[in-house]
Amino acid sequence: MTRKEFIAEIALLMEVDVGALTEETRLKDMEGWDSMAAVGFIAMVDEKLGYIPPPKMIAESKTVGDLVKIAVAMLEG
Amino acid sequence: MASARISGIRIAGLASAVPARVCLPEAFYELFGKEEVLKVVASTGVRKRHLAPPGMCTSDLCVAACNRLLVEGEWDRRSIDAVLFLSQSPDYSVPFTASIIQRRLGLTTACAAFDVNLGCSGYIYGLWLAGSLIAGGGMRRVLLLAGDTNAHVSAEDKSVALIFGDAGTATLLEKSDEGQDFIFVLGTDGRGEKNLIIPAGRCRKPSDETTRIRREDPEGNRRSAEELYMNGAEIFAFTLAEVPKMIREVFAEAGKTVEAVDAVVLHQANQFMLEYLARRMKIPMEKVPLSLGEYGNTNSASIPVTMTHCLRDRLSHKRTELLLGGFGVGYSWGAATCAVGEIVMPEMIFLGMDEIGKEEGT
Repeated sequence: MTRKEFIAEIALLMEVDVGALTEETRLKDMEGWDSMAAVGFIAMVDEKLGYIPPPKMIAESKTVGDLVKIAVAMLEG
Repeated sequence: MASARISGIRIAGLASAVPARVCLPEAFYELFGKEEVLKVVASTGVRKRHLAPPGMCTSDLCVAACNRLLVEGEWDRRSIDAVLFLSQSPDYSVPFTASIIQRRLGLTTACAAFDVNLGCSGYIYGLWLAGSLIAGGGMRRVLLLAGDTNAHVSAEDKSVALIFGDAGTATLLEKSDEGQDFIFVLGTDGRGEKNLIIPAGRCRKPSDETTRIRREDPEGNRRSAEELYMNGAEIFAFTLAEVPKMIREVFAEAGKTVEAVDAVVLHQANQFMLEYLARRMKIPMEKVPLSLGEYGNTNSASIPVTMTHCLRDRLSHKRTELLLGGFGVGYSWGAATCAVGEIVMPEMIFLGMDEIGKEEGT
């Protein structure tokens, strides 16, 4: 899965146009990013990448880029 | 992995009771906003719950279920050897509730009674305990009363206010020569302590003036230290890490596959989670009955409530291969395979305040 595809999946979760998101987008600014989106993110990463992302890392993420970093860290680790 | 095989037992009957009082999502439109509420409903699947009015306890619901069960099954109350009250919401801190239930049900004093504090995994543990009391503990007939009322849930906390429902159930287990073995797989991980917790009000942090004050969290939810805190993301991560493994293990112990099972009754945590789990474990959703749409997440009662709501007709007439799975608070988890039916299964009971205390034996 490419970074672009990953971000597209996040956009789907937040119910926004993929064009509305960049890696710099702050999660706080997105109405669609809430505790349900976090659960959806866990399911998405588990399904698409085969790993369960640590909820602490999700809670500490400030931007879409931070969420991408989680996936990268898991793939490398 | 703790596993057990219990022979020589059967479930003879099962009844569920919920409060007559209904709570609909509309009640929260003003507080959380209609759109937000509908979003939660779409994700959790909970369209309606039954909530106990003040003064109605879990024991009232369990006693109502039990009385109906004993009457419909025509069982002699004097034949009950033990009663196990499985709940996180006892009548009092002291004494334990099962003794009060012994009196209310009119059981003999030659009866063992005790409480067990468990939630989401509780029904599985309850079956295992009740079965063990028969198989190894010299009992012949055991009542498992499982349920919860959710008084300690803040109505201003969107993460919990729309999900939980109240219910009390009664399951009668007895010694039996016929019937298949029950297979159990059980587990615990205490690292889940802080993720589903009522932090204050007992010994670790006693009640004081501050513990009753509601404070706002970073997500805008308000709760006091004496109200339930739930970290959905952590619990979901735990569920994904342990539940598929647990189901695989119980199938391996039982020598079965999902094809051999007629229904997979899971703790009704939320619909999104259950559908994702089923997909991941390749269990067809047609085999996964849901009661949470009508009753919400009823904690330790959720498995028996689902059996009453979805499988009553089938279990009353036909031997049914079941896989049961409970997981959550603790963290604690358990799964069981068993064959159930034909058994005595009254219709769902809707309990009004005026019906409490009108039972035999009080």
